[in-house]
Amino acid sequence: MDAAAPRPKENQGEPLPRVDARLKVTGQAHYPADLPTANLAYGALATSRIAKGRVTKLRLDDARAVPGLLDIVTYGDMDKVDKPKFGNSGATSIGPLHDRTIFHDGQIIALAVAETFEAAEEAAQLIRAEYEEEKPTASFDSPGTKTVAAAGKSPMFKEDVKAGDFDAAFAAAAVKIDQRYSTPTQHHNPIELFSTTAYWQGDQLVVHEPSQNVTGWKVELARQLKMDPANVRIVSPFIGGAFGSKGPMTPRTAIVAVAAKRLGRPVRCVTSRMQAFGTQTYRAETRHRIRIGAGKDGRITAFAHEGWEVTSRPDLYVVGGTSATGRMYGYGSVLTHVSLVQADRNTPGYMRSPPETPYVYALENAMDEMAVALGMDPVEFRRINEPKTEPIGKKPFSSRSLIQCYDQAAAAFGWAKRDPKVGAMRDGDWLVGMGCATAIYPSAVAPCAARVRLTSDGEVRVQCGSHEIGTGIRTVAGQMASERLGVAIDKISVEMGDSGLPPAPVSGGSISTASVCSAVLKACDAIRSKLFAAATAEGSPLAGSHNEEFDLADGKIVAKSGASAKVEDVMKIMQVGAIEEYAEFAPKGATPEALKKLYAGTPEFHGGEQDEDSVKYAFGAEFVEVRINRYTREIRVPRIVGAFAAGRIMNTRTARSQLMGGMIWGIGQALHEATEVDRRYARYVNRDLQDYLVPVNADIKDLQVILVPEVDHAVNPAGVKGLGELGNVGTAAAVASAVYHATGKRIRDLPIRIEQLLA
Amino acid sequence: MSQPSALSTNGLSRRKFMAGTVSAAAAAPLLASRAEATAPAAAQPKLRQPVITSLRINKQAYELSLDARTSLLDALRDHIGLTGTKKGCDHGQCGACTVLVDGKRVLSCLSFAVMNDGKDVTTIEGLASTDGKLHPMQQAFIDHDAFQCGYCTPGQIMSGIGCVNEGHAESENDIREYMSGNICRCAAYPNIVAAILQARGETKGA
Repeated sequence: MDAAAPRPKENQGEPLPRVDARLKVTGQAHYPADLPTANLAYGALATSRIAKGRVTKLRLDDARAVPGLLDIVTYGDMDKVDKPKFGNSGATSIGPLHDRTIFHDGQIIALAVAETFEAAEEAAQLIRAEYEEEKPTASFDSPGTKTVAAAGKSPMFKEDVKAGDFDAAFAAAAVKIDQRYSTPTQHHNPIELFSTTAYWQGDQLVVHEPSQNVTGWKVELARQLKMDPANVRIVSPFIGGAFGSKGPMTPRTAIVAVAAKRLGRPVRCVTSRMQAFGTQTYRAETRHRIRIGAGKDGRITAFAHEGWEVTSRPDLYVVGGTSATGRMYGYGSVLTHVSLVQADRNTPGYMRSPPETPYVYALENAMDEMAVALGMDPVEFRRINEPKTEPIGKKPFSSRSLIQCYDQAAAAFGWAKRDPKVGAMRDGDWLVGMGCATAIYPSAVAPCAARVRLTSDGEVRVQCGSHEIGTGIRTVAGQMASERLGVAIDKISVEMGDSGLPPAPVSGGSISTASVCSAVLKACDAIRSKLFAAATAEGSPLAGSHNEEFDLADGKIVAKSGASAKVEDVMKIMQVGAIEEYAEFAPKGATPEALKKLYAGTPEFHGGEQDEDSVKYAFGAEFVEVRINRYTREIRVPRIVGAFAAGRIMNTRTARSQLMGGMIWGIGQALHEATEVDRRYARYVNRDLQDYLVPVNADIKDLQVILVPEVDHAVNPAGVKGLGELGNVGTAAAVASAVYHATGKRIRDLPIRIEQLLA
Repeated sequence: MSQPSALSTNGLSRRKFMAGTVSAAAAAPLLASRAEATAPAAAQPKLRQPVITSLRINKQAYELSLDARTSLLDALRDHIGLTGTKKGCDHGQCGACTVLVDGKRVLSCLSFAVMNDGKDVTTIEGLASTDGKLHPMQQAFIDHDAFQCGYCTPGQIMSGIGCVNEGHAESENDIREYMSGNICRCAAYPNIVAAILQARGETKGA
């Protein structure tokens, strides 16, 4: 087997190729802006050139004179529509065309609609705004920021976790560190551009838009447009990368819907790469202060993590990663506090492992510093602080295979060959460094519905309003049906990405595989029950064997005794051509309103840190080798090994690919990614893929993913822990650790760039 | 960070062409206020006149009446309906729009459709044979899971074929370097390299 298809170990599913692979390699996978739409008009956005103030005048004459221009939607044209709401389905509460206040650079000021893309672009660029401009506040340290406590500002961040008496423990600690860390603004930059295509069929609105949350958007868009959600349909069959950017809907969607209504024809607006930086969400920049105190034996007695995060003026978006960092190790005492710092910026949002990426980076960089201060091997230091229960609520972990991950990754990496002395390892002109760090991600799950149909000739259709953002969710949902119904994967079709399908939760928080597979499992088991009941009824082929266990395989119901009956024959007795089941899955601990909330687009999350019985996390360990040129200080990452345990693995191929992509994201976070902010104008500077650096093929060499077997029956019926966001947690700290090992320089501010190593 | 390699566009690039027209137009209204002079000038009327362009795409002839500013990418997607070629940046920075023009890889967003008059264009839709058999590069991408979301994939596959045909797939390091103009945000890079290695021999013969 080749590297892309790891041989399954215990509790791991077959590395089947993706069910939509052929569509993707032939150009037949239709992303929302590809869906054929007749009589299409093209929209282009005009955006603000200031970050704070008011639009006093818009001059539209030049734009209106462009041949082919059809309409301009701007101030006054959205008055009959409700403003957006900030939350899981809405990126911001700013209604950019509802009033003339400018909250951030790049805010939408108009939409030009024309017969062609070229005419729409020309017209949008000819829209001239006059402003009453105020001096904007760009970020941390700018005059005019407002700082508020984060706890309680988001339903997902209720409190600053704490345990024991930190102050006393820290004061008494024999070895301690007190350090500050920071992470920059980052933009998701999925390669698919953001787009909205809207058209009306009478009172019905259809929107084609890449979305991680079609049900939530349907409800939120209907609210804005004062419609019955039943009359709104969001279609998103394939999504060209998301990483959180397509979770909440942005204000553009309603604006394009209004334009389509005014014109009486379909309108498509594809946002330019540059405009996406200001009209979509992003990862907030963060700052951290970490204090760790330990005894000389390496046991941590005191841990404090304070965080500061930039957000917008109108919306209090919380990153809030202390819920995880406060529970990571067996600290004796814990103190945490998170603050939000408001500036004149667009509202940040979820980006791949939103809380963990920055917060665990800070924690793990600090852990490495602490290991150095103690004179201990960093792996040993973590082993010593491995907890039996998490320190905040003293709950057990539903499963925790961190040490197994460290052991397997260390062995594969060759950690034992590392000379721990700083700067001791060299290869010609290259300084060699090796480092490691822990990855952690909460294993959450949410209610989900699915419909499954099995026909008498053995064809299966799975329908679920989840989203194929590249994770392989179609494939693993098909695999679950294949396993439970005994039908080969090529006889199974999986429909997703349409709000007309049974509702699924947002494809975020790494909940999709657990939630969708649990719902598909439930629907399949209902089909099995019906078939078994019919097969064992009087006069049926397996009559009298009802006390036995049955299974489905190769189109047959097979009893333990070996007796079997064809599904086709049983359906004849039942006088049906197909059995279809609609299942609603609600996780353990769900409230009585849980399913109602699923349909309302506001699903409850369970698991992670929220359950009473235990905390639920997936863990991993990552080891990185860096090479730094002794003259130029160019930094390369020739080798990276990650070992991860995430409960049941549905498909080792898609799981490995996600973890691999995550680790490469982590390398990008360590060395490349940062959105530069011009502090004078509160404006993003590097708004394209030439200047916003992301890893390219030449940046990546040897990469190894190890899937550590783990069984966890407590997480959810499918036994699955999500892993789409696990791989990029901790990576940047492992790189920082390796850079320290190579050079003796401790870099605490990401990204790590050549200039930081030159001084 | 390695810079994506710049791929040649045949003759005049769209970027240069745009820059030329903008600066020529911007030079004229010196008497206007500063705000107006810095704003983009209206396109010259001639540019808006439709131009009849003949393209041969996937061995089929097309005659199109296009706004002269239409990129080859937008012509394929919006005027012919071949949406397999993707727009990821419209600035020649991501590689998602890569097609083959007369057998060489070209960024279709940086090439006006009219510049390709009379040329042979191959897109992702033109690779598989009419009986449905996939091109070896397509099959290799499936075998090695060389994509996740699949959006950059048509560009990666076209670029991979171009890379092999240029003789730039002789080593893994060469492949990494010469495929670095195609960004994969899902980061399937090691799998893309493995796929190109697998398909290299058969692609040379194809």
